[in-house]
Amino acid sequence: MSATPRHGALHALMTDFESPSQFMQACVKVRDAGFKHWDAHSPFPVHGLDDAMGIRGTRLPWIVLVGGITGFSAALLMQWWMNAVDYPYIISGKPLLGLPAAFPVIFELTVLFSAFACFFGMWGLNGMPRWHHPLLANDRFRRASQDRFYVVIEARDPKFDSEKTRAFLASLGGAVVEEVREIVEG
Amino acid sequence: MAHTHVPTLQDTRTTLDGLGPRVFGVSLAVGVVGMLAAFGLGSAQGDNLKQFAFAYVLNFAFFLGISLGALIFLGIMYVTRASWNVVIRRLAEVMAAVTPLLALLAIPVIVLAGRVYGWMDPEIAASPAMAHKAGYLNQGAFTLRWAIYFLVWSGYSLFYWRSSVAQDKSGDLKITRRFENLSGFALMATAICLAMASFDLVMSIDPLWSSTMFGVYYFSGSFVSFFAVLTLVTMGLQNSGRLTRIVSAEHFHDYGKLMFGFTFFWGYIAYSQYMLYWYANIPEETAWYLMRSTNGWGKVGLATLFCTFALPFCGLVSRWAKRNRKVMAFWAMWIIVAQWLNLYWVIMPEYSEHAMFSPAAVALFLGIGGLWFAGVTRLAMGNSLVPTRDPRLEESLRFENA
Repeated sequence: MSATPRHGALHALMTDFESPSQFMQACVKVRDAGFKHWDAHSPFPVHGLDDAMGIRGTRLPWIVLVGGITGFSAALLMQWWMNAVDYPYIISGKPLLGLPAAFPVIFELTVLFSAFACFFGMWGLNGMPRWHHPLLANDRFRRASQDRFYVVIEARDPKFDSEKTRAFLASLGGAVVEEVREIVEG
Repeated sequence: MAHTHVPTLQDTRTTLDGLGPRVFGVSLAVGVVGMLAAFGLGSAQGDNLKQFAFAYVLNFAFFLGISLGALIFLGIMYVTRASWNVVIRRLAEVMAAVTPLLALLAIPVIVLAGRVYGWMDPEIAASPAMAHKAGYLNQGAFTLRWAIYFLVWSGYSLFYWRSSVAQDKSGDLKITRRFENLSGFALMATAICLAMASFDLVMSIDPLWSSTMFGVYYFSGSFVSFFAVLTLVTMGLQNSGRLTRIVSAEHFHDYGKLMFGFTFFWGYIAYSQYMLYWYANIPEETAWYLMRSTNGWGKVGLATLFCTFALPFCGLVSRWAKRNRKVMAFWAMWIIVAQWLNLYWVIMPEYSEHAMFSPAAVALFLGIGGLWFAGVTRLAMGNSLVPTRDPRLEESLRFENA
């Protein structure tokens, strides 16, 4: 067994619900209260949760678009430079930069760069990679993958006030309001 | 629950009622006038109806493709047991079920074959390269094949439409089960006939050229056109107060995804067909593309590259575009014109070596299109526009894109 983690500063306040409907109503209230740094956790996808939480559309498509354009241009420039500039060589009577022949590579690199941009862009937007999260050390949070629905408001939120936010969370009708502490290394 | 209210069929109108006869009448009038105008324009050419015949094949291929797109769409929806489409499926059913009308419209293709198809030309038919094709490419075999194609297509499309309408009354679940069991065969038979019909109808205009990809090329373009027409028909019905609320942005989002996906698929196939011939550079294979890239046709080809592929690809790539009605309506109309232009570029160079505009082709677009749409409207009259007792209707009504 590893050493019991020592607990540090307050990371967040958390409350949990037994039914998705209570949970959704709670999310709407947190959203309307104007919190920015908060999250909702559910063991399965709940339709309409994005709206209830007021989550705006993701910026990921724009990152993918940039990735795709980069791949497209890189493939075109690479083939032009290799075949027409650095080592001009006529193959089967085709032009030095024959576009029809260049397109398979352009297509592949567009797809590859888009996929990388999508995958790593998703990491970046989700704050990954990270090895641990204070919530995962909380025993009460364990049922997040089974049958409980959690609303967590982080202490770094500008509207956060440990007493008022605690009272606010308690008013949402969850079971308990629990403190989530930062984990201190060592 | 914070769920929004799930719409029911009571929230909207689901029958054509008074609109049906009006749309039918107008379409029929446009169709008849278009046909007569095209015949007049064609006769005025003084070329023994040669241009008329080419223009006829072009537009027949275009609208046949839309009906076959609908038929294949139905097959795919049943084999995948998809539910999102149920609320709009009747529209695809009637678009597919006009195939018997298209069989009538195929008669001029057979009658006028001598003016269009190279294998009917004694000079070409006498060439040694044609010797082994003569048993396949002759008027008897051509006519017989069309009879078989239409038997298959009409059989399946009428089966889908009639059984689905019967289910409106009986609510019999066995009908859905039968659709699911038979659609695999239906898809195979329809697809084989579609590919062979594209060889007969379009590719054999130049019987010395062949492409094994031609069936997919024709199918992919037709499938995009079908989704564009389906989008516009759904929007038109909603503008008249029908199918409102029950067909939501979620369904249009799926139309958009399919239009986008098959636009790309079309581009992929068109490019693959071109690239292989360009790279191999064998005279009898490149001749077809040479004809279409010289004497002004090259500009038309380049226009189709952008209009049929690159521009709609960029225009439909965003989720926002697919969920915006005005943007979707714009691209649906654009795609119909662009796919038609692509068929024009495939077919008309065989009529004229120099790029030309054919007023008869436009008149026949209205002529065959008008008759086709009148047929679709006639089939949609008298029944619900929605399969009211399909077991997956409920799922379709509450459908949301993840």
